[in-house]
This record gives sequence, structure tokens and C-alpha cells, in this order.
Amino acid sequence: MAVFIAERPPAAAGTTTEPARPAAVPPLASASPAAPSPAAATRVVAQRVATPAQPAASRTPPASSRRRASGRRFVLDLALVMVALVAIWWSVVLVLAPEPFLLPGPDRVVLALIRRWGDLWPNALVTLTEILFGLVTGILAGVATALFMGYVPAASRVVTPFVVVLQSMPVFAIAPVLVLWFGFGLASKIVMATVIIFFPVASAFHDGIERTDPGLLDLARLYGAGRARTLALIQVPAALPALVTGLRMAAAVAPIGAIVGEWVGASSGLGLIMMHANARMQTDVMFAALALVVAMAVVLRLAADLLADRLLPWLDETDR
Amino acid sequence: MPRLLASLALAAALGLTALPAAAADKLSVALDWFVNPDHAPLVVARDRGFFAKAGLDVDLIAPADPAAPPRLVAAGQADIAISYQPSLHMAVAENLPLVRFGTLVETPLNTVIVLADGPVKTLKDLKGRKVGYSVSGFEDAELGAMLESVGLSLKDVELINVNFALTAALSAGQVDAVVSGYRNFELTELDLAGKKGRAFFPEEAGVPPYDELIYIARRDRAADPKLGRFVEAVEAATLWLTNNPDEAWAVFRKADPKLDDELNRRAFFDTLARFAKRPAALDATRYTRFAAFLKAKKLIDTIPPLDSYAVVPKLPN
Repeated sequence: MAVFIAERPPAAAGTTTEPARPAAVPPLASASPAAPSPAAATRVVAQRVATPAQPAASRTPPASSRRRASGRRFVLDLALVMVALVAIWWSVVLVLAPEPFLLPGPDRVVLALIRRWGDLWPNALVTLTEILFGLVTGILAGVATALFMGYVPAASRVVTPFVVVLQSMPVFAIAPVLVLWFGFGLASKIVMATVIIFFPVASAFHDGIERTDPGLLDLARLYGAGRARTLALIQVPAALPALVTGLRMAAAVAPIGAIVGEWVGASSGLGLIMMHANARMQTDVMFAALALVVAMAVVLRLAADLLADRLLPWLDETDR
Repeated sequence: MPRLLASLALAAALGLTALPAAAADKLSVALDWFVNPDHAPLVVARDRGFFAKAGLDVDLIAPADPAAPPRLVAAGQADIAISYQPSLHMAVAENLPLVRFGTLVETPLNTVIVLADGPVKTLKDLKGRKVGYSVSGFEDAELGAMLESVGLSLKDVELINVNFALTAALSAGQVDAVVSGYRNFELTELDLAGKKGRAFFPEEAGVPPYDELIYIARRDRAADPKLGRFVEAVEAATLWLTNNPDEAWAVFRKADPKLDDELNRRAFFDTLARFAKRPAALDATRYTRFAAFLKAKKLIDTIPPLDSYAVVPKLPN
């Protein structure tokens, strides 16, 4: 029995450098193989999934610190890419000298950002509020849907098409109706952001749940673990990396939902500022608002990384 | 061999471009919005042969965003755009190289519309209410001036962008008034939806009168004789449809099956009185008065010399 488990590397830790060793599962030794209790078995497996084999020696730093290092590297890469983009943008403006209403230079955009800060900042806060609420409801709805589909596999045959249909609907087309239903206030923007955030979370998490190592599922079945226990102690931990992927995508697309909502109906927000700037031919102000939206998306993405790091410290990333 | 191919291709290209040059001159016109009765003179001029007689082949393009046409023209993507006089002043203030060279609709069409059986009986009743608008960059100033005429200010209302869902937002009760509705269109739209509307006219409430729809072109093309021929054709079409409204409606409804409905029929006849009968004429006093109004409302910083952004086209002979 012990050998059977030991020879299977834990699904969730597919990238660990060392294969699992029997010594890493002490509770199994104490549990009598003759009369295994389902509770003991699921606990064992859960530990196996959640805490993969410890590295034999300390020459490899723990996964969490390596992830933190890679997080720092991501920030650095991002900063470099930003600097490069601005440099390219500026040189295009200097060399081709397009008229400012076609493409304003970074200097003009920064000036607009400063000049209009008193107007931009309160509206950015409105948009940020919509995004954060949208993230909360979208992630909750996505996680709940994925869990439901994992718990009742038969239902997923019905729910999946719904999820796909919801995703394939262009938000821009349904946005005007959503605004009429939910009003021009916060609610319609949150609904819009939720719709956009829901899909990456639900589909990524559900995929993760579906792709649990069959060996672990066999084991749970062998120990007589029920569906709820299997889901909670084996499938969900195994699917967490997939959920993190979904969350990162959600963080990146969340501003789109809020902005689309503001575009079709709002009394404040960066989307409205952009519409006004567009109508008044103030391309520099439009770019300034856009820069704030991008900044928000980047910060959200970094927050998602940080959260993943905290929640799943054991989750390792392949070194680049 | 490649050189031979290249010269053949060049010859073919020259031959192809030489052919249409002998025919009518092409002009592209970016409309302010999808084709509607406001564009009747253009549609009639095209479909009744007024443009052809002037040696023009005019292409009408409907954009998705009414703010796009001025930039399309400034960027050289279209020859002519239909725009709004307030927008022209603001575009010029943002250094877009544009000039007005003709008028399509010579009165404001914009109105503040409320439901007739609603709580707003006068402009004063707007205090504390929600007002919907579609962003054209001018509504807040316009509504502000109208509110000031009754002792209120913009701070007394909540402005909500409803992005062209004006009638829907008003009917659904999401807003108490809308400020971008046209007197010749949205009022009728409401009526057909079974609701009676009440309109407040900006030019009767503190806003100096302006041309709702104008023809604009790139500044460096202001003297292009094609623009003069274009305005002359539009002038002929306008006079013809003023004299023969029923025949004109028959021409207009055939242009696009989507136009042939009750809303467009009523809007068509309501708009007849609004078309500029002298599309080339430029009222200098009116333009400078309006520029002064925009400056007072802080929508533009300076008032540029009129001839830098509004001209009378060169008419052929």
C-alpha cells in the first residue's frame, strides 16, 4: 500500500525536484493497513497533496522564497518592458512627429495626468471600487460554480454550455441592456466585471479539479472517502495551481468589465473620462486615463501573484 | 524579368487610375451618425443625381462613434465630415486642422426632454434630478447654461452618460430628463413608444443659437473647388426637397430599407424646416458669439480668428 502511494509523485507538485519518499508520509505508517479508516486515508492524501516531499537537503531554497524571487524578477521585467515601450513610443513620436490628436507623446500624457489629476484621481477610485467588487463577486461565483461542477459531475454537462455561452457573448453588446436592468450606478459595473471575471476563474478551477491525478482518486476510493471529502481534501488542493492561473487572468481582465460598464452608462469613472476626452478630441487626456487603467491592471496582477505566494507557499515554479 | 513585370504592373496601375479620373471626382463624407433624416439633402443629392450633375461621386460613410469623423478628416481618412458646430470650436481648440465650409442643419436640434406626465414641468423642476446624456463633449455646458437661466447650476442635477439609450433610459425611469435628444427624432421616438415628451429648447433658455450640423474639411483643403461643387449640389438638393417634400421622402425611404418606417417618416418632415437653405452662407457674428459663449463656459481657452476655422467655399463661377 505504502509503496503504491510512494511511487506516485503528488499531482499538485508536478514540478518538485525530488520524487516523494515513503518517509515523508509518517501518518500512513501508524495507520493500520488492515483496517484503514477513510478519515485517516483522506488526511494522509491531503497532506501528500498539500505538503509534497521535503527536499532532502537545504541546497535548494524553499519554494516560497524562490517564488518570491521570481515575483521580484517579474516586477523588474515589467518595469524594463514598460521603459522599453515608453522609449519606443517616444522615439516614434519624435521621428514621425504625428499630430498630437493622432498620437500624443509620453510627455504630453504625463502633463495631462498632472493637469487633470484632480479630476482623474476621484474617477479612478470609482473604477477601482467597481473592479474590486467585481473581483470578489466574480471569483466567488466562479469558484462556487467550479466546486458545484466538481461535486456533481453530471451537472457540469448542463452548466458547462451555460458558462461557455456566457463567455462567448460580447459584453459590449449586452452592456446597454445590463445598464437598463441594473441602473447606471455601481451595480451594473459590478455585474459587468463579474461576467468577465467569472469565466477564467470557473473554467481554470474546474479544469484543475477534473485533472486530479487518477492515482490519488483511486486511493481515495480505496479508502472509502466520500465525494465531498475527495473533493475537499484531494481535488481542490490539487486544483489550486489552476485556480491561481484563473485568478491571474481575472485580475488582468477585470478593468475591462468596469470600463465597458462605464462606457455605456455612468456618471463617473475612468471610462466616462475617456469618453469625454474622446468627444473633446483630447487624446492626451484619454491616454492619461488609459495609463491609470493599465497601472491598475498591473497592480492587481501583482496582488494576485502575492496572494498566490501566500496561499500556496509550496507551489513551485520552474526556474527560468 | 522582374523589371519587366514591375513595369507591366506600373502600366496597369496607371491605366486603372487614369480611367476613373475621366469620370466623376470621388468624395468621401463621414456622417456624424448612421443615416437618418438629418442627412436627407445628402441622400437626395446622391440618389436624385445632384452630385452626379456636379461631377461628383460621393460616398456616405456612417461611423460608430460621432466623435470620430472630425479626426477622420483631420487625419486625411475622409474628405468631408458632418460634425456639430460646438465640436468644431473644441476640435480647433485642440489644434485639429479643421474648417467649416458649409451648413447642413442651421438651428440647434438638441433639447432637454422630460416625460410630459412626469414631475418636471419647468426647467426649475430639474433640481435634484438625474439627467441622462450621450457624450458629445458639450452637453454639460449647454445644460449648465440652461439651468443658470432659471437660477440653478449643474451642481443641482446628477449627469449620467446613457450612451445613446436616451429614450430607453427616460422611458425606463432610470433618468428624469435627457439632454442629448433631438427635437426632430427622440420626441417622436417617445411618442411612438406611447409616451408623451416635453422639450425645453436651449436657444430659448440662455444658449446662443448655433448650427447643429455642419460640413467640415481639412484646413489645407479649404480652397478645393470640389468642396464648392459639393455645397452647390447640396444647396440644389435642399431647395428641391423643400419644394417637393413627398417626392423627396420617396427618394429617401428607398435609400435604405431601414429608413422606411414611421419614426423616420415623421422625422423627415419635421426636419425639413431645419435644413440650411443657404448651406454656403457663413454668419460670422453668430460664430464669434458662440465662441465667446464656449470661452465663458471654459470649454475653450482662446477665441481664434474666424477665418482660421470657418470659411465660405469657393463656388464654381
